[in-house]
Amino acid sequence: MTYNIMTCGVGGQGLMLVSNILGQACAEQGLEIRTAEVHGLAQRSGSIYTHIRIGDKVYSPLIPYGEADVLLGMEAIEALRYIEFLKPDGNIILNNYLWYPVQSTFERVKNPEISYISIEKILEQLEKVSKNIHMIDALDLAHQAGNPLTSNVVLLGALTNIDGFPLKIEQLKEIIPRIVPEKAIDANLKALLLGFESK
Amino acid sequence: MIQDVISEDKSKAFLFCNEAIVRAALESDVKVVAFYPGSPVSEILDTFYRISNNFDIKMEVATNEKVALEIVAGASMGGQRSLTAMKSVGLNVASDTFFSLGYTGINKGCVLVFADDPFCHSSQSEEDGRFFASNAYIPMLEPSDPVEAKEMVKHAFEISEKFKTIVLIRTTTRINHQSTIVPLDPLNRTVFESTSFREGEKKYSTVGSKAREYKLMMLQRRDKIKDEFEKSQFNFVIEGYPNFGIITSGVSYNYVLEVCDKLDIRPPILKLGTTYPLPENLISNFIKKLKGVIIVEELSPYLELNVKALAKDTNPDIIIIGKESGHFSEAFEYNIPIIFNVFREIYNIKSDTDYRTLLENRNKLKSILPIRIPVFCPGCPHRATFWALNRAIGGKSNEIAFMNDIGCYSMLLLNNDIYSKLNPDDLLLSMGATLGTGSGVSLASKEKVISVIGDSTFFHAGLPGMVNICHNNEDVIVIVLDNSVTAMTGQQTNPGTPVGDPKKKIHIENILKGIGFEDLTINDCFDARNCIPSFKKALGEKGPSVIISRGPCALWNDRNKRRRGEKIQPYYVDRDVCRKCHTCMRDFYCPAISMEETMTEFTDENDKTWKGFSSHVSPELCDGCGVCSIICPYTNHEERSAKDVIKPYKTPREVRHDL
Repeated sequence: MTYNIMTCGVGGQGLMLVSNILGQACAEQGLEIRTAEVHGLAQRSGSIYTHIRIGDKVYSPLIPYGEADVLLGMEAIEALRYIEFLKPDGNIILNNYLWYPVQSTFERVKNPEISYISIEKILEQLEKVSKNIHMIDALDLAHQAGNPLTSNVVLLGALTNIDGFPLKIEQLKEIIPRIVPEKAIDANLKALLLGFESK
Repeated sequence: MIQDVISEDKSKAFLFCNEAIVRAALESDVKVVAFYPGSPVSEILDTFYRISNNFDIKMEVATNEKVALEIVAGASMGGQRSLTAMKSVGLNVASDTFFSLGYTGINKGCVLVFADDPFCHSSQSEEDGRFFASNAYIPMLEPSDPVEAKEMVKHAFEISEKFKTIVLIRTTTRINHQSTIVPLDPLNRTVFESTSFREGEKKYSTVGSKAREYKLMMLQRRDKIKDEFEKSQFNFVIEGYPNFGIITSGVSYNYVLEVCDKLDIRPPILKLGTTYPLPENLISNFIKKLKGVIIVEELSPYLELNVKALAKDTNPDIIIIGKESGHFSEAFEYNIPIIFNVFREIYNIKSDTDYRTLLENRNKLKSILPIRIPVFCPGCPHRATFWALNRAIGGKSNEIAFMNDIGCYSMLLLNNDIYSKLNPDDLLLSMGATLGTGSGVSLASKEKVISVIGDSTFFHAGLPGMVNICHNNEDVIVIVLDNSVTAMTGQQTNPGTPVGDPKKKIHIENILKGIGFEDLTINDCFDARNCIPSFKKALGEKGPSVIISRGPCALWNDRNKRRRGEKIQPYYVDRDVCRKCHTCMRDFYCPAISMEETMTEFTDENDKTWKGFSSHVSPELCDGCGVCSIICPYTNHEERSAKDVIKPYKTPREVRHDL
C-alpha cells in the first residue's frame, strides 16, 4: 500500500522542510518514500507543490489523480488548485490563510468593488470532494509555539494525527532537532505538538 | 540533506536526486567540477558549493556552460577526474566544444550530466537532448530515479576512463527533482595531487586530416561501447506475458511499473539504461518473439525510431505502439493516467478508473480560482527598475520594442497584463539574445528598441552582442539589470559577485567602458523616482545608450542579512492618512501589498474627504526595500513625518531561516 500526501502552498511557505522531515523519518523507519518537488520558481510567490508517497514499494514520484489520501494546503487558494489529486472523501488539512496573488490585486486596482476570493468560497468547493476538512489557524498556533515561521510544522503535526498516516509523532520529533537551526528547535517541536493536538 | 551527502558512516540516506549525483561524484573521487547554473540541475552546483571546502576539490562557477565543459574537459586531459552539469539549453551553448570532444576524447574520467525539461517547467524550449549523444558519438546513460542516477554517475567515470571519452548522464526534471532513500558507499577520497599534462599519452587537437582520422576512430569506439552496453546491468528484461511487450527508459519506467500493478498485468518489459549506443542485440532479441511492443518515452520518438529500424530485420510484422501510432504525444510530460489509458486499451482491460472525467469534474471546481503567477519577490530590484521605466515610457508603449532575456526579468512576460506598458511579450529567445535581436529590430523598424539583460546573462552571452552594438553604433537602449548574483536559479555567484579572495570581482562598467561605451549611466534602482530621468533621456536619444540598473537580489540580500544577524524593517500603510489612490499598487504590484476589503475615509487639512479601499502591507512578507514609500505621492521619504502614508513599522522582523 502507498500512502499519498499532496502538499501545496505558495513559494516561501516551507514545503521543503515538511518533505525533508518525512523523508528522514521514513529512512529511519525502513519505509520507502518518493517525492516530486518543484524548484526554480518556488521562491517567487508562485504556486508550489510536493507529491509525497510513502509505502513498502513506491514506483512513480507523481500521485495519480484522485489518489491522494491527504491534501495538505498551506494556503487555501492553492489547496483548491490541486484538488484533482485528492481521493473522494480523502482528508484535507487546510491552513486558514489566504495569500492574495498580485494578479488579484491587479484586478482590484482596476475595479476596487470586486473582492478577493474568500475561505468560505474555497471551502464550498472543497466540500464537494470531501467533508473531511480539518481547518487550522496555523499562523496563530505558530505564534503560540514562539515562532511565526513554524506554520508548516503545525500543519505537519496535524497530518501526524490523521488515521492511517504511516508515521508516528514521536518519530518526527526525533528528526526535527537534526534538521532545523538550533535556536528554532523548541518552537518547531512545540508547533508540531500544537498541530497534532488541533485535530 | 547536505550532512548526508558528505556522511562517512551512513549506509543510506533520504537524498534529493541532485544531491545523489554529487554523492556519486564524491564516491568516484572527482577532483575538478565546473558549472553554470540552470534548472533542474542548479542544486548540483549548490551542493558542491556548500561542501567544496570539506574536500580536496577544485570548483568553479563558470561564466557559461561552454566554459564549464571546457574546464572539466581540460582538467580531464590534464589528468584529473571531473564533472559538469547543465540544463538542455546549456548543452546547446556548450555544443561546439562538445562535438569536438567526441573526436579528441579525454584522459581521466569526465562526466557531463544534462537535463531535459519536458513540459518546459523552467526552460524556453522543450528539447530532446538524446540526439546530442548520437550526433556526437558520445555514450549516454539514462537513470530512472535517484538511486540509479547515483549508480550511473559512478559507472560513467569507469566507462569514461576505459574508452577515453566524455560520458553523458541524461536526466529529466522529474528525475532531478525527485527525492528518495539512496544507498551510500564509502567516500574513499584521495589527496589532490597535480598531474602532468605533458605525461599524458595523448594530444587533443582536431581539424582537417586529424579530424578525419578521429572520425574513423570514433566509429570504432562507438561499436566497442555498444558491445559493452549489450551486457550492461542498466539494461534488463522483466519476463512476462502475453507476448505484447514494453520498452521504456528514464522516469517513464516507474510509471510503467505502477500502471502494470494497477491493471494487474505482467507484460514483458525491457528497461533501457544505456540509450546511446543502444544495445541493439538485446532489443532485437526482446522484440523477436513479440506480437507487439509499446514504447514509452517522453518527448521525441528516439527509442521508437530505433526499434522500428531494428524490427525491419528481426520482426517486420510486429505492432509498434508509440507516438507514430498516435497513442502517445511528443509534447510535455507523461504521468500515470496517460500511460494507464494507453495500456488499458492495448491490453484490453476493463476498469472503472476514469481519470479524464475525474480531472474534468475537479477542474470545474476551480473556476472560482484566481491565477497565481510567479512574480518579482518583495524587495526585488527589478520591480523598482520597471516601475521607473514604465513611468518614463508613459503613454508611448507603441513607440518602443522590448527585447527580453533569460533571468528573473523573464517573468515580465508571464505577467504581461501587469506590465503591459512595456510590451514584455515582444521578444524573448535565449541567453543574451536580447542584444543581437535588439540590433536587428533597430535596423529594420522604426520603434525605439529597449534590450534588458541581467548581470549573469551579460557575462554568459552578452559580451559579443555588446561589442556589436558599440561597433555598429546601433540605436538600442541596453539596460543591464545588475543584482549581483545569478538570481533565477537560486542566487549563485557570478563574476560580478563580491565573493572575496582569491576570486576577482569583475565590474560591468569597466567592461562596458573598455568596449567603448563612454557615456554610462549607473542607477541605484531602489531610488526609483530618480531613475526616471535617465530612462527618459535614453528614450529621446539616437544611438546606443547603456544604463546599469543596480540593486542586490532581495533573496540573496536577505540571506546576507541573516548571516550578519540583521533584521528586516518592514513598512506599513497608515490607513488614517491614506488617500486610497492605489499608486503604491498600480504598476508596482509587490506581493506584500494588497488592497483592504473594508472601505475607510480620511479628511485632509483642506477638508477634502478621501474615501475608498486603503492598501495594506503584510509585515511578514515586506522585505523593507521602501520603494512603495518612495512612489507614494503622499509620503516624503526624505524627511519622514507623521503625515507620511507609508512608513517603517515599529518592530523589525527576523529573516526567514530557510534563506
